[in-house]
Amino acid sequence: MNESITRRSAIKRLLGISGTVAFSTLTGWPFRDLGDLRAETTSRRFMVEGLGRTKGYSVKELVKKVFNGAGGIARFISRGDVVAIKPNISWARSPDLAAGTNPEVLEGVIELCYEAGAKKVRIADHTIHDARRCFAITGAGSVAKKTGAELVFPRSSLMKEMKINGHRLDVWPVFIPLVEADKLINIPVAKDHGLSTLTIGIKNWIGGVGGRRYALHQDIHQTIVDLAQFFKPTLTLIDATRILVSNGPSGGSASDVMVKDTLILSDDQVAADALAAGLFGIKAEDLGFIKLGERWGLGTSDLRQLNRKKVVL
Amino acid sequence: MRPRHLIWIRRGSQAFFLLLFLFLLIESRLPQDVILDYSLAVTSDQELAIERPVGFFFQLDPLVWLSSLLSGRHLIKGFWWAMALLVVTLFLGRVFCGFICPLGTIHHFLSFVKPALKGDRMVRANEKSPGQRIKYFLLLAVLVGAVMGTNFAGLLDPISMLFRSVALAVIPGIGAGEREVFGWMAGSNLKILNLMSYAEVLLAPVFGYAYKAFQTAWFIGLIFLVILFLNRIRPRFWCRFLCPLGALLGLFSRFTILRLEKDQERCTGCHACTRSCLGAAGPEPGKEWEGAECLMCFNCFDACPEGALAFRFRLRSPRLSKRPDMGRRAVLAGILAGISIPLLGRLDGLVHKVSDPRLIRPPGSLPEPDFLNLCQRCGLCMKVCPTNVINPTLAEAGMAGFWTPHLVMTQGYCEYTCTLCGDVCPTGAIAEFSVKDKLERPIKIGSAYIDRGRCLPWSGNGPCIVCEEHCPTSPKAIYFKKDVVAGPDDTGTQVQLPYVDLRRCVGCGICEFKCPVKGRPAIRVISAGESRSLENQILL
Repeated sequence: MNESITRRSAIKRLLGISGTVAFSTLTGWPFRDLGDLRAETTSRRFMVEGLGRTKGYSVKELVKKVFNGAGGIARFISRGDVVAIKPNISWARSPDLAAGTNPEVLEGVIELCYEAGAKKVRIADHTIHDARRCFAITGAGSVAKKTGAELVFPRSSLMKEMKINGHRLDVWPVFIPLVEADKLINIPVAKDHGLSTLTIGIKNWIGGVGGRRYALHQDIHQTIVDLAQFFKPTLTLIDATRILVSNGPSGGSASDVMVKDTLILSDDQVAADALAAGLFGIKAEDLGFIKLGERWGLGTSDLRQLNRKKVVL
Repeated sequence: MRPRHLIWIRRGSQAFFLLLFLFLLIESRLPQDVILDYSLAVTSDQELAIERPVGFFFQLDPLVWLSSLLSGRHLIKGFWWAMALLVVTLFLGRVFCGFICPLGTIHHFLSFVKPALKGDRMVRANEKSPGQRIKYFLLLAVLVGAVMGTNFAGLLDPISMLFRSVALAVIPGIGAGEREVFGWMAGSNLKILNLMSYAEVLLAPVFGYAYKAFQTAWFIGLIFLVILFLNRIRPRFWCRFLCPLGALLGLFSRFTILRLEKDQERCTGCHACTRSCLGAAGPEPGKEWEGAECLMCFNCFDACPEGALAFRFRLRSPRLSKRPDMGRRAVLAGILAGISIPLLGRLDGLVHKVSDPRLIRPPGSLPEPDFLNLCQRCGLCMKVCPTNVINPTLAEAGMAGFWTPHLVMTQGYCEYTCTLCGDVCPTGAIAEFSVKDKLERPIKIGSAYIDRGRCLPWSGNGPCIVCEEHCPTSPKAIYFKKDVVAGPDDTGTQVQLPYVDLRRCVGCGICEFKCPVKGRPAIRVISAGESRSLENQILL
């Protein structure tokens, strides 16, 4: 393009472009609506809220009920799938302290996956405390033994650099089993956090990477949204049976725990976190990662845009 | 019994005890089967205990027992094993050296597969030499030193030495090599190599799940190699010249009823017995048998072609063995060394005047003087620690505390609910403690402080709360104050500034370990405030 752009040619071109746009809008508008409708039926996201209202209810049953509410596990998991599950079992704390995913929730999901014909279910989390102690004390180890799921030890050779293509993160070491799976289910626990205010689903992806992850805290909201966009889980199931309301994310005292008996299943990571934030009495719009997640199209915090359902046990 | 059979029984026993030693050493870790009873895990903080008696060889070791008794006036748990061994030695001589000692077995094996010398030179080499008194010198130095309040038996004790060398140098060394290979395989583009790299999980229980590091481990490994190499100079050099435990057992073997009997008539003077003698104990007819030097390997019995030598029980006519040749000079020097080493060891003032800020002892450790009385520097706590935070000291504990355990928080951290080091400590230098003790007493091993010049928020370089996030206490010992700091562009950034609450901090060091500022982190733990010391306190 050595030819310099004269005023005349510029006007011509601009007119040409705007004309085309105007024409296409005019002619296309009757079809556009149809197209949107079609898109709506396929891409409208859902959310199922499960509440355990009876005393001594079975958490596993509630998990199953929640999945039934979403149309059954078979909608998401196909026969022969390798399913990776990302719980939060980062701290060597017993389940009653709500620092990690409730093992009964884990067990319920794994059983459902196997019922749907999954070839293999892997539990993978890059823990903060020594992984062996985490596996034992959080109860994830016994779940793996009971259900036959594979508990992946987060050894360093399983952290491989991958292109994250985020707004802040470009390349970062990723815990490979989470990527080498047909389906990925995020099962976080809802907790208080000193920096990001809350750690629920989106923040849980910090446990899916290796490398210098302590540095991610310098821009926590953007980096976790980048990771959530990279991992793109099939489903997010938030364990809010017990939530950690203070001294998070490690907790350590029963007085930090509140029992909420709630499970939130969604295919929209932002919406799931937004609803869970309500359990803490925190507005979704006050959370940086939810705002950013909305801005970059990760999901919506406007729960009216979702197909919502509530199941009670 | 034919002598040949006796040799094979000895070899079987040596192999058994060496393998048992290595097995217990490898088992000194978080139990592999960490999958616990589900219902237990749901209700309480589970203590992960080691099921196997990993301290067995230390309980069997009379030097560990006696030195801790003399210095700490403390009977270690399971000491009756050592007592029983002394009784056995009274009747049977140094059978421990010949049949049980794992370090002796390694020396024996090396001397056997590659003899140091041949023919007549070996005969001359195996004649008794004054150098054999060195071990009595060392024994006396150790025991007198223990009475004087510094227990350095573990530096020379064969069980402690072998455990330390294998656990801190040999296994991590092999592990590092193995991990390189698997890392290369995992990074390879060949699918088959990729798949094979998963075999790492099979080796991990032995070599650990990550690179292990122990300060001064190169030196521990080097000493081990040198001691092994000494077998090229004399067979079982260590056992013959240096081993203080061998010297102790030698002293007790004076009353043995299992004796070498010689038949002067049959001897043809072929020297086969001396050539095969590992302890230089004078097996040849015409010389007096040195019961205190004899390792009870029965080589001479087996080697004699004429049947002129035999080990027999002599119950009826009890006779003392030849007096152990300790040498007056060795005894005097041993006593002098035993008196002066503990005194010299206190000259750096680390025991009585000040303590090094980096000397953070494992949780449950006794006050420093008591700790030094009991610690065998065996490395069991360092081997068992799941985060690799416990390391041997170099200068942090002064000369008297060389190679005792301390925590290096840049390398790991003390897990809030872990009790393994106290479980395994063979002498109780680290007293047994429970999770409840750790949380409620609470056991405080040091205090964290913030280096504001390095800290990201304090220095205006941006938000970061990694220390607060990881702080395990509830309520957290690290808290924030929101503030605006002048950033690089003088724009003023809103950050959360971390503060440490010394009343809550237990000094676990996870903040230091996880701090993004590596090498010399922005939050560091020092020993001040450790609950084991009355003096080393900060707050009123």
